[in-house]
Amino acid sequence: MTRLAGKVLCVDDEPGIVRSLQWLLQKQFEVLTATSGAEALELVKQHDFDVVISDQRMPTMTGVEVLREVRKLSPRTMRILLTGYSDMQAIVRSVNESEVFRFINKPWNIAELPKVVAQAITIAKTQPVEAPAPEISEDAPIIANGERILVIDDDPEMGRAVSDLVGASAKVSFTRNLADAVGILNSEQVSVIVSETRVGTIDATRLVRLMKSKHPEIVTVMLTAESDADTITTLINQGQIYRFVPKPIRTGYLKLVLQSALRKHSALASDPALTFRHTVEATSAGAMESLISDVQLAAPQAETAAAAKSGGFMASLGAGFRRIFGAG
Amino acid sequence: MQFRLVRYFTLASLGMFALVALSLFYFERQQGDFFRQTGDDQRTFFGEVQQSFAKQQEESARRDLLTIHEAGNVNLTRLFANALWEKDFAPFVAQAQTIDAKACHAMADVTDDKGKKAASPEKKACFAEIGKRIAALPDFKSIDAKVFASMKKSTVFKIKVFDLRGITVYSSEHAQMGEDKSTNAGWRSAAFDGVPKSELTHRGKFSAFEGVVENRDLISSYLPVLEPGTSRIVGVFEVYSDVTPFLKQIQQTSEQIRATAAGNQAKLEAAAIENQAAVDATSYRQFATIGLLLVLLFAALLAIVRRAEKIILQQEADRAHAHQQLAQSEKMASLGQMVAGVAHQLNTPLAFSQNNILMVKDALQSMELPMKVAGKLSTILEDVEGDKVTIKVSQLKANLDKLQEGNVDVTMLQEMLKDVLGGIDQMSELVVNLRDFTRLDRAATTNADLNKSLHTVAYIAQTVIPKNIELVEDYGDLPDVECNPSQLNQVFLNLINNAAQAIDGPGRIRIRSVAEGDQVRVEVQDNGRGIPDDVLPHIFDLYYTTKPAGEGTGLGLAIARNIVTEHGGDITVSTRIGVGTTFTVTLPVRQQPPLAKAA
Repeated sequence: MTRLAGKVLCVDDEPGIVRSLQWLLQKQFEVLTATSGAEALELVKQHDFDVVISDQRMPTMTGVEVLREVRKLSPRTMRILLTGYSDMQAIVRSVNESEVFRFINKPWNIAELPKVVAQAITIAKTQPVEAPAPEISEDAPIIANGERILVIDDDPEMGRAVSDLVGASAKVSFTRNLADAVGILNSEQVSVIVSETRVGTIDATRLVRLMKSKHPEIVTVMLTAESDADTITTLINQGQIYRFVPKPIRTGYLKLVLQSALRKHSALASDPALTFRHTVEATSAGAMESLISDVQLAAPQAETAAAAKSGGFMASLGAGFRRIFGAG
Repeated sequence: MQFRLVRYFTLASLGMFALVALSLFYFERQQGDFFRQTGDDQRTFFGEVQQSFAKQQEESARRDLLTIHEAGNVNLTRLFANALWEKDFAPFVAQAQTIDAKACHAMADVTDDKGKKAASPEKKACFAEIGKRIAALPDFKSIDAKVFASMKKSTVFKIKVFDLRGITVYSSEHAQMGEDKSTNAGWRSAAFDGVPKSELTHRGKFSAFEGVVENRDLISSYLPVLEPGTSRIVGVFEVYSDVTPFLKQIQQTSEQIRATAAGNQAKLEAAAIENQAAVDATSYRQFATIGLLLVLLFAALLAIVRRAEKIILQQEADRAHAHQQLAQSEKMASLGQMVAGVAHQLNTPLAFSQNNILMVKDALQSMELPMKVAGKLSTILEDVEGDKVTIKVSQLKANLDKLQEGNVDVTMLQEMLKDVLGGIDQMSELVVNLRDFTRLDRAATTNADLNKSLHTVAYIAQTVIPKNIELVEDYGDLPDVECNPSQLNQVFLNLINNAAQAIDGPGRIRIRSVAEGDQVRVEVQDNGRGIPDDVLPHIFDLYYTTKPAGEGTGLGLAIARNIVTEHGGDITVSTRIGVGTTFTVTLPVRQQPPLAKAA
């Protein structure tokens, strides 16, 4: 029996779950279990875990809280959140506070889970750890070196708000449609994407997921007014979104998010190896094709009317997609 | 109690309109009466003025007539005196004076039936005797002839002469000679004061110079006779002059004035009646117009009110419908929340059971080969006589890996299946509790063990509320309570959910039940934020919510109270900011008959 050198901690208040996980994973990894957050953190202090899998709904300490503490105690440990049902608030916090690697839904797929854990262990063992980000206060000015921020939203206020926040330190492009976004991504070196999950009638998360799978150094911040937990679960697993900002936006919070997003990007850009920590799941097949067709349908309403009139627009749009995402 | 808008409006406004109409009618009448009264007064006054004017005119004419005639008579007397006194009357009067009248004067007067003193017939006879003696005087005939001669064809009808004793010493009517005038006011005025005194009298029969005349108006004047050249009164004349034609003229003029006045009065009367008729007509028209306007107003208002009532009724129906829908959606929302919680609760045993079964299945699969080998071995062993068997291991060695893989820890597999059984127990417990909670397969109203219900609700609630909130169940001995457990479950779940929402972070909810006589009391106590003073009075209000729009319907506690009230119970709240809130539900053990059906 080949046992991969990897140390996994499973946390759940339900003993049946932790036993189950242990049985499932112990063939490949060294598995320890805990039935409460406190017990888990105690173990994290004593051992050097590669992966911590925690249930969200637990008494006294939620999974997000446990993972946030784990991230502080052991930054190299990859964090996986186990959720039974979708609590929107918990998911948003898991993205923003704990920077989880994956969401795993109960009941899990017994063939997939060990693979995800194995991938996480590989990353934890092989990839360098970012220096822990210092605490940033809301008053601190945004530090940037002319990076480009792409804002995709129906609401022009959003573009203006971002421009106001970054001032002259970074370039901000604002667009209200995905066709333009594709054009901008094609022609410019974009560092941070700030996008609404839904632009016009099109689901914009596909663009973000596709972008991330091909260009992991781009940091994505999602804005949303809706609270569809599935969308966000998919976004974290397939898009590794960096932050999630629920609307209505609080300016101070947006500033913090932009600040750390820019810092994250510079870290990723300076050390491409770091991007492995943000490896995404394979996007479902056909996502690109459906996105292209949706964007093309919406293109006649695009603001780049001049571009739309030139006969080759559709062709160039398709080409643009392929160039960015790599055909197939 | 329904407010019947149209009916109340109709009654009130018709009553009001009737009052308005009545008061209008009353004031119109008052005004009419006032006009009539004023008109009557004015006409009466005008008539009186005219009458008095005519009367004054006649009186002044008469007075003028009297004055003129008196003056005329005075002049006549002067002339007469100048002509006859010195030569004829003075000696004649002197002779008459010699006849003694003292005896006659001394005779007593009698009082007639009107209380007036008058001369007795004997006294009159006495004086008449004196008159005869005077008439017998020698100068009488010639004087009488002279008087007649000078007075003939004049308006003077009669002349009398009195001496200063009041004795009639001469009268053109001879029968009157000797009469005593000493008590007569006219004579006394002329004889003692020297002031003429005149009087207008009507005589039916009068013996004048020309003979007896009838129906005459006469002015009689007592006139003093002065001794020529002196102012000494020596006698008194009485002159009767006829003013019948003048008086007739005066009366005619007066009649004319009266007639004119009456004519004026009649015209005024006619004008007044005409005016009154015009005023009445106007007032009836006014009345009719106002009445018509009131009817129109009433009709318009009635139309508006009827429309309003229709709209109100429609709105009421809409509201009831919306309320019903909201109540339904509230129920669905809490049901949805419950289902989500239950689904999650189900997920946990499901997850590990599935995991374990799949692993056991895999293990069983990997045990297939070793089992086959063992089986084959046992068959071989069965056929072998003796205690030694030779097996060719070369074939088996090739599959050694697979055999080793199948060499699983059976104890672990048993553990896994034990966990699965535990998971199935958890799931069936959940199903049982769900069934107990909804009670879809039970009678609506029944005698229920409330503690069991509370435990079910607590179990269900546990799946929904955050795990860091502890549910403490503290149940006393309760009699079975006649109730609709499904509805009460909804109430208790709502109270526990509310309690959980009042708690930030870790907390505790205590559910207690106590029997108190023929009542049971259920308390849901939390150690949460407490309810602010400005919120507390409204918590049971329909649609009142402190949650953002779209999150809370504001129906939860309103419905809860409704259900408890329908059970004949009561729901109360006590709260302290920062300490916690306790909701207390009190229920009767037995339902009142009329309420039993509502539950």
